[in-house]
Order: sequence, then structure tokens, then C-alpha cells
Amino acid sequence: MRNIRTVAANTFREAVRDRVLYNLVFFALLMMGAAILVGQISIGIEQDVIVSLGLTAISVIGILIAVFLGVALVSKEMDKRTLYALLAKPVKRWEFLLGKFFGLVMTLTVNTAAMAAGLYLALWTVKHPLLKSDAYILVAVYLILLKLAVIVALALLFSCFTTPFLAILFSAGIYVAGLFAADLRTVKGVDLDSGSLRLMRGISYLLPNFQNFNVMGAVVHGRGVPGVFVWQATLYALVYIAIILTGAAVVFSRRNLK
Amino acid sequence: MKTRAIAGMFLAVAVTAGFLCVWRLQEGLDKERSKVESERDDLALRSPALMKKLSLEYAPLVGAIYWTRAVQYYGLKHYLGDQNLELLWPLLDISSTLDPNLIVAYRFGAMFLSDAPPRGAGEPEKAVELLERGIKANPDYWRFYQDLGNVYYFDEKNYLKASQAFEEGSRNPAAMPWMKIMAAKIAAEGESLETSYALWLDVYQTTTNKDIRKNAEVHLRLVKAEMDIREIDKAADLYAQKTKHRATRISELVQAGLLPGQLGDPDGFAYVLSEQGKAEPNAKSPLREEWLREKK
Repeated sequence: MRNIRTVAANTFREAVRDRVLYNLVFFALLMMGAAILVGQISIGIEQDVIVSLGLTAISVIGILIAVFLGVALVSKEMDKRTLYALLAKPVKRWEFLLGKFFGLVMTLTVNTAAMAAGLYLALWTVKHPLLKSDAYILVAVYLILLKLAVIVALALLFSCFTTPFLAILFSAGIYVAGLFAADLRTVKGVDLDSGSLRLMRGISYLLPNFQNFNVMGAVVHGRGVPGVFVWQATLYALVYIAIILTGAAVVFSRRNLK
Repeated sequence: MKTRAIAGMFLAVAVTAGFLCVWRLQEGLDKERSKVESERDDLALRSPALMKKLSLEYAPLVGAIYWTRAVQYYGLKHYLGDQNLELLWPLLDISSTLDPNLIVAYRFGAMFLSDAPPRGAGEPEKAVELLERGIKANPDYWRFYQDLGNVYYFDEKNYLKASQAFEEGSRNPAAMPWMKIMAAKIAAEGESLETSYALWLDVYQTTTNKDIRKNAEVHLRLVKAEMDIREIDKAADLYAQKTKHRATRISELVQAGLLPGQLGDPDGFAYVLSEQGKAEPNAKSPLREEWLREKK
């Protein structure tokens, strides 16, 4: 456990040193621009745009960090040959992987929390006081964070057995495919035999369904999200992450690092 | 050192000249662009379902962007005096599909669609379709029934359906009590100036948008003028019955005790009688042009 904590803390420090949190400046400028501009070029959607733009930015920036940094977590250590020095110490490979995972999730949590605070600040400038229903935004932010954690796990898994470029492509591809996972179950109007339909159905359950973490439509309009949904999405993410990280640990421990 | 300074100056001049050149070229290209582009307005992606898929999990934001496009499109056409609003419906269709809870797109969109040209697209049937879609997606929002009633009442002149829309909306516990009154009033009277005034007054008092408020204000002034003109015409008819000739000036009606005094329109200009002895806004009144357009 101590080993995982140490690797995680170092990963977080490294991300901060790499100026990953500089994206917050871009986010702040985006929110300020939206708060000023939208009211002047549209009708009646100032608040909606602040919330949807804020959540979209949190999600997109988070995905970029999760994919690019997630893939680099292992490959960079191998390229710089720092991994060998680390593994020579009493650190197991799976501990290294888990530490890297938690370190990046920590970075994303700090980043997401800062952006959420910025979103509330922008919202406060267009309408104050804030309403009770505005608290639902936090639920959306929490679910985005869960989604990012799943993506980090995916990026880690792919970076364990392929090149960084392919790992980025696979992670991004699985993310986009995961958004359409439910559609694979309800596909209609295509001339498919029952075997293919069953296969597609099976794939739809294998893919991480990223729509499980998407409540933007409700939150933007001040509608709440049922607690059961949040619990189920949390459990879904935890189980999924556990499966992926187990797979990653197995692949990584068998990998020939010579 | 001197050479470097000269080179720097030369570079600054060259860059400035380059940008001036780019600016001039762009102006030329902008002038020529109209010859290259098709004359019809165009929207690259018209399928709302496809747009929803393409927007991944960010449909609410893309919906808001499309709504802004609709507002900008309507505003620009209005500004240019161009009555061709063929893209308004596709833009609203996409916005409301991407975000079915975007209330504002249904409400104002229906207004843009239903209003007769030059103010709107003159497509009340599309406005009805949009509002019905809004009701389906947001069944608890009673204001859609009011908007639907307004479209049926003002644009379709279908008073039975207008009354039914107000009646249906009044069943929502959150609806204003006057919805029921309006349903009964329209069912009993059909179109009346008092009802029109009440409907526009609500739009004026409840909207937060300055353009919609201005539009409602214009309608309120016109309806008020119409109510005044109706009173004056009634007095003029009575005068003709009594004296066997029509009055040529309103002062004659006042002198005969048929009007309490010289009436002024909402802009403060006194009404006049036409050659046929019918009341109308003063030629100096800014309201007259709008009134004549409505009469057409």
C-alpha cells in the first residue's frame, strides 16, 4: 500500500511539474468569454450555455489529459529507463501500475475540482444568487470524474502492450465506441442474422458504456439525478476499472522489459 | 548593431506591408465570394438525428450553439430585410432534437416561425409542430399551451383549437388562473380586441427578452389603437344616423357629445377621420405605417 501511495504521489507531482494544470487558464478564459458573449448573441440560454460549456470543457480537457498522460505513464518511464531503477526496488509491477493510476486520477480530481469551482464562479456572475438546483452540477462533475478514471485505466491497459500512438488511438476509439454501446443493442433496419445481432449485443456489454456517466442534459436544465443512478454508475465504474486494471497488471507483469 | 536595427526595421515594415496586402486581398475575395457561393442559404447537416449522434455526449452544448445560430440567422435576415427564412425551421428542428428541454428554442422559435412576414417566417403550422414537440418533451411546462393557443388565435385564426389549447394548459396545477378564463372567452367570442390585448399584455409582462418585449409592445399599441378607432367609428355611425351626414372631423363628434374629448393614439397623436368618415391614425403618427401594414 505504501508503495502505491509513493508512486501515486510522485505521479501527481510529475504532472504538476509538467504544467498539466496550465489548462485551467484556458478554461478560465473560456468561461469568462462565454459569460460575457453568450448573453449578447443569443436569447435566454446564458445559464444553459455556461453550464453545458463548462461541463463539456471539464469533460474534453479531462479526456485529453486522461488519454495522453495515461498512455505516457508507462511508456515515458520505459523510454527514460527510470522504470528499471524503480522495479529494482521492492515495488511490484502491479503496485507500480496502481500507483500510476491513482496518481493521474488525483491530478484529474484536482483539475476537475478547480474547473468546477470556475464553472460556479462563472454561473454566479450571470445569475446570483445560485439556486439549490445548481448543486446538481456537482453530480455531473462527479460522474465525469468517474468516466475519466475509466479512460485512465483503459489508456494504462493499452500502453502496457502497444506503442503510445496506438494506445492513444485505441483509448480514443473505445471512448467513442462506448458512447454508442447502447445503440449496438437497439440497432434496427440492418439486414443482420440473429448470430450477428447476438454478437453485437455481447460487444455492447463488453464496451464501457460512457453514456452511463452523462447527465448533462438533465443538469443543464436544473433537473436532479436519482441517487440510485449515481450509485449504480459509481459501482459500474469501480467494477469496470477493477477489470481493466487487473488485465493491465496481468499484461504488464508478463511483459518482457529487457 | 546598426545592421541589425536596419534589418529589424525592414522586417517590421515588410510584415506590416504584408498584412496590408492580406487585408486588401481579403476585401477583394469577399467581393468575389458571392459569385462562387450558391445563392440559396445552406445548412450542411440537416438531419437532427445525425447531428445528435455526431455531437457525442455534448448534445446540450451543440443544441445551444444551434439555437444561437437560429437567433443570429433570424436577426440577420430581419436586419437585411430579407424575408426568406427557409433555414429557420431546420435550425430549430436540430436545436430542439439535440436538447429537447431547451424551452427557449420552442417558445421563441414558435414566435419567429408563426409571425407573418416581415416579422417572421409566416409558417404557423411549423410553429404548432414545434410547440407540440415541446409539450411532448416537457409535459409539465404549461406556458407551451399558452404559446400554442396564441399561434392558433393570432396566426391560424382557429379559435376552437386556441380555446382547446388554453383549456388543456389550464389543467396543469401550476398554470395561471387566467388560462381557464381565456379558454372560455375565446370559445365564446372568437377573436376580440380585448382578448388580443390581454394575450399580448401577458407576453409583454412575462418576457425577459427585449426584442420580444418590443414586438409585444408594438402589438399592444396597435390593438389599443384599434380599440380607440372602433369607439370613434361607433360614435361616427351614431352621428351619421342622427344628422344624416358623416362627420369630417372628430371635433364634431365631441361637440355632439358622442365622444368625451379628442382621443389620442398610444403615441399621443390625435386620431383623424378619413374622407369616408372612418377613424384612422394621424399621418404624423409613427403608428400609422404599422397600422396600415396590419390592415393589408
